[in-house]
Amino acid sequence: MSDSDSNPNPLENPFKSLSLNESQSIDTNEVVERSANCDSVNGIASEEEKNTVGLIRAAEAQVDESSSSGVAWRENSQYEAEDFAPSSPSSSGYAGERGSSTGTSAGPIEEVGNDGIVRADSFSNAAAESAPWVPGKRHLDEDDASISWRKRKKHFFVLSHSGKPIYSRYGDEHKLAGFSATLQAIISFVQNGGDRVKFVRAGKHQVIFLVKGPIYLVCISCTEEPYEALRGQLELIYGQMLLILTKSVNRCFEKNPKFDMTPLLGGTDAVFSSLIHSFSWNPATFLHAYTCLPLAYSTRQAAGAILQDVADSGVLFAILMCKHKVISLVGAQKASLHPDDMLLLANFVLSSESFRTSESFSPICLPRFNAMAFLYAYVHYLDVDTYLMLLTTSSDAFFHLKDCRTRIEVVLLKSNVLSEVQRSMLDGGLHVEDLPVDPSLRLGSACPHLGQDRIAPGSPNRFREVNVGIGGPSGLWHFIYRSIFLDQYVSSEFSAPLNSSNQQKRLYRAYQKLYASMHDRGNGPHKTQFRRDENYVLLCWITQDFELYAAFDPLADKALAIKTCNQVCQWVRDVENEIFLLGASPFSW
Amino acid sequence: MASRRRMLLKVIILGDSGVGKTSLMNQYVNRKFSNQYKATIGADFLTKEVQFEDRLFTLQIWDTAGQERFQSLGVAFYRGADCCVLVYDVNVMKSFENLNNWREEFLHQASPSDPENFPFVVLGNKIDVDSGNSRVVSEKKAKAWCASKGNIPYFETSAKEGFNVEAAFQCIAKNAIKNEPEEEIYLPDTIDVGAGGRQQRSSGCEC
Repeated sequence: MSDSDSNPNPLENPFKSLSLNESQSIDTNEVVERSANCDSVNGIASEEEKNTVGLIRAAEAQVDESSSSGVAWRENSQYEAEDFAPSSPSSSGYAGERGSSTGTSAGPIEEVGNDGIVRADSFSNAAAESAPWVPGKRHLDEDDASISWRKRKKHFFVLSHSGKPIYSRYGDEHKLAGFSATLQAIISFVQNGGDRVKFVRAGKHQVIFLVKGPIYLVCISCTEEPYEALRGQLELIYGQMLLILTKSVNRCFEKNPKFDMTPLLGGTDAVFSSLIHSFSWNPATFLHAYTCLPLAYSTRQAAGAILQDVADSGVLFAILMCKHKVISLVGAQKASLHPDDMLLLANFVLSSESFRTSESFSPICLPRFNAMAFLYAYVHYLDVDTYLMLLTTSSDAFFHLKDCRTRIEVVLLKSNVLSEVQRSMLDGGLHVEDLPVDPSLRLGSACPHLGQDRIAPGSPNRFREVNVGIGGPSGLWHFIYRSIFLDQYVSSEFSAPLNSSNQQKRLYRAYQKLYASMHDRGNGPHKTQFRRDENYVLLCWITQDFELYAAFDPLADKALAIKTCNQVCQWVRDVENEIFLLGASPFSW
Repeated sequence: MASRRRMLLKVIILGDSGVGKTSLMNQYVNRKFSNQYKATIGADFLTKEVQFEDRLFTLQIWDTAGQERFQSLGVAFYRGADCCVLVYDVNVMKSFENLNNWREEFLHQASPSDPENFPFVVLGNKIDVDSGNSRVVSEKKAKAWCASKGNIPYFETSAKEGFNVEAAFQCIAKNAIKNEPEEEIYLPDTIDVGAGGRQQRSSGCEC
């Protein structure tokens, strides 16, 4: 189960054999407009991207002379039109973690479109930092004639095969009826010719199409995310729709092509807006893996034992989660849960306010488990962030599940699981500053366990003294480690200099791009990638057992970065008992 | 309560090229008229909100091109239409004679569940031209055809003068509600773990 036995060889300069382009100063900066010849309809990556894969990008970082730190931050880069800052992707969402003022944001930064027009409804960074993101539909007054609507960086539409609007991220669906009809006409026109339209590039904009039987999904984006990433997001939106309605909705369209789906989705705007929001902060949306709340092994075992107990009494899945992180989960024999289903289920529960106020019993569908039929979910919040989900096939199991919940709650309280969960929420997970640099220190009592010797949360001085404001050793800023066998990932907490939500979002976009290029079917898969641009040094390393994505200071030394990646992997293996759900996992085989 | 919800109606406008389909739409949606003829390429899409018997409707209007070369778009465009508006020019006999072809083509391609009762509306346009002196299709003749096709409502319109256009579209909304299917309870299957595994298929079609 654990991958510690199959310890892969350390990453010893894996780039040795690859050609090196020292002088070739190709600009991989996201901000810079791509060459005009990438307007191809069938192409997947631009030529430039293809060339970078597997090659070393040793171009010197372009240092902005005005920047005293030597780091060229492009504050006017293309930010997605989002009215509120994303909530912190750290487990705790704890405000104190973002308190550092050592970032690069010297003052309020207006959100500026690439065309140089300041958005009318832009928020300053400062305001965005303090305002939590609230799910729900915004800008209902807009339609396709509004300038503000046209300027939004990323649109999502769902429509029926007759062109009737089902969902739009921005604007009122009915007012967008004409726009929706246009989208259907384009899709149907191509379909009529026995073909399928995948995407269209128009200047900076990409239009991505996804046809799912009678349901059409479209994304229009100028965020420069790769096609694969945007398509994956459309797949998740479709999955979210199935989670609410099942694929049986197709039958309604077979019976009646005029069928209007919107009433069936009534009241679910927040579910979709929250999912779309997560595309810019939750790595689970492109890693297809879930993440666990860091807990002592024995604590997680205690939670798993009681969940296993109820699973044996006819519960299909018993899942205990804290926000987006898993505490423990157990499935009935042979039943396995796909990480995407977990993501969609957690999003559904977390974004529907009514689950918080009372215990609920709701039909839901897990699209990867069985897209055609409903399961029933008993949902109950044990405290403000921690919730229990018991899934069953029986529509009259409510009282049984209620009893199960009572038993679980008693055990969790007795064994202090809930208080440990609270503590972990405050402490957060892995901090790059804590990465043990000297391997000899790992031995004996100095073994770096989580939550050990933490400076009190909320203290203004909580960053490691040695590395104040500059991340971890060798300029390591952040990493994500995904265990392939476990379907789980662990992501380091954000700290300086990745303080602002826009910087965090930009890093996710960079990871996403890296993920897409590493998994590119056309000329992949690849084992390693090292690329340097003016924002980061990004290093990706994929083995049979894991995928590691790491971001460093753009001036970081390559050899040191590689060494640090090996240390990260070792560190993750050292604490895997605490950061992963091991053993009890039903998805590992 | 459910029946009071906003309703979206897909309305297809068909007829020979040059009979004034786009002009009718422009008069109805934008209250504008232009003497210049610009052929529609493929289709134009317009949105208009209407109130009918204190219910709010959104008309999604598919203003199609009349030229024959666009007819291959039919299936894709007609799918799921709530109402079809057939337009002819009262001054051009051929455009009236073609109404039958347009109607049959629509029913063939859209294949609505109840073709006999599918809501059509016929508009005889351009009644203003030459003060009616160049008119070749009489109102009587047009009404007779409409009656023979299951009492299709008939309106004489002038897109140029805005005559009768509003009334015609009110009728379109009215007809579409009459045709509104009864609300069914949405009831998908529940997984039966005991009977044959989790990926069990229901009787419905798997698309």
